[in-house]
Amino acid sequence: MKNINISKKTIVVFLVIQVAIALLAFILFGLIPAHSEAGKISAIAELKSGGTDKELPKETLNLIKEVRASEHHEAYLRSTLKLSRTDSIALFIDLNDSLAFLSLKGVYLFQSKISKIKINKGLKKLPYFLRDSLYSGPIQVIEEISSIEKFPIVVKKAPKDTAEANQSAPALPIQNDVYVMFSFSNNMVIEIDQEEDELAGTRRAYRQYKRQYRRWFLSENISALFDPDRSGYIYHITIELPREDARSIYRALPLKPFVVVRY
Amino acid sequence: MKKPDSIKLLMVSLSIALTIGLIYFYLSKSETLKEAAISLYSFPDYPEALAGKDSVQLAKKISATEKRIFALQKKIENLWPYDPYLIINTTRNSFVLRTKRQILREGICSTGSYILLDAGDGQQWIFKTPKGELRILSKVVDPVWVKPDWAFIEESLPVPSVNDPDRYEYGSLGDYALRLGDGYMIHGTLYQRFLGLPVTHGCVRLGDEDLKIVYKNLQIGSKVYIF
Repeated sequence: MKNINISKKTIVVFLVIQVAIALLAFILFGLIPAHSEAGKISAIAELKSGGTDKELPKETLNLIKEVRASEHHEAYLRSTLKLSRTDSIALFIDLNDSLAFLSLKGVYLFQSKISKIKINKGLKKLPYFLRDSLYSGPIQVIEEISSIEKFPIVVKKAPKDTAEANQSAPALPIQNDVYVMFSFSNNMVIEIDQEEDELAGTRRAYRQYKRQYRRWFLSENISALFDPDRSGYIYHITIELPREDARSIYRALPLKPFVVVRY
Repeated sequence: MKKPDSIKLLMVSLSIALTIGLIYFYLSKSETLKEAAISLYSFPDYPEALAGKDSVQLAKKISATEKRIFALQKKIENLWPYDPYLIINTTRNSFVLRTKRQILREGICSTGSYILLDAGDGQQWIFKTPKGELRILSKVVDPVWVKPDWAFIEESLPVPSVNDPDRYEYGSLGDYALRLGDGYMIHGTLYQRFLGLPVTHGCVRLGDEDLKIVYKNLQIGSKVYIF
């Protein structure tokens, strides 16, 4: 066997290239979209503040916080009223009280306790008034990915004779795991995950959902690279609910439902 | 000692493949990269228009908003039915009978199976419970089931004419039925063991005792919310 000599120089060049790629990737896929989003936020913040950046007493700041919280609560209730005039079931996510519930014409149909909330850094850092504008009013889902079907239809052929008809026992529904992702036009994604770590269904179904999910993010990121009008940064909320609650919520919602979030 | 050309070529190919793989990896992990990048930024939470106001003005503003919140909450509460109403969860196959203030009864039921029965020749039926806000249109004691065509096709029996006596089945719907329109009903069942499972042709089946209470509490016009 021939002895393969790899010189030190080759190794160094190879490592330098890898580090350069990592750095370039960070700049291209991380820093540039984040910087562009930060620039937009700063520009709006400057505009909104009207140049006011004076130091305020703590008491005033607390009162301002209270005003904002109550104004946001008011906006949330107005959204509830607005949606009560429609014939569709809407999803309400109350991050303040850790509740997710369904409402139809103002009547609460179903409620579930949120066991875990994950909010990405961008959303956490967003100034109050921008968070308000992001959440203000009902937002409509434009795209969704789900690990379960919306309508679990089972096709059954009519039996050929009475013997075959008598044999048929009721088919029980297959209980897959529940992972859902809703995306909105305001650059936000809300994910509803089952809180149970143990899978009830197959690992294959779970992997298929994850694959679809990753593909969606990848295509969004690639589109943002080539389209300067698109924001490369996606605001992201993940809530965890008991599996059966998440299933009830997803199946109850119409296609392209409205969602209201209270923070 | 000089490396053979084939090995050199292999090394170069491997490096290119690794580089492409890495770019794809970083692109797929770009959410993590963005999260790392956004940590480098901070945004002042400008108090905007509120900054010009003093404590008294701010307190007044809070009080005014609280009043509006109270009024809005009242408006929303007024949307809830005053009389008893029924909520049916078709995914869990459960129901809640309630009023504005309290739950009167909750338990399991059976709803549509989501079976699509294909009889060929373009004849198809889908057995799902309708969703939305419905109302009780009529109430019946000792209901008689007028079997539709699919009930015969499902049993592989010949479909009789419209008023044929074979269409009328006594006792299978329990003691009471509450009609929701379009042939859908809330009724009892002989198959109590299937309660809690999606096995019906679209109607809502309740256990005997639950049905009695639901029948007693819901009046014609009462609201039924199905989701």
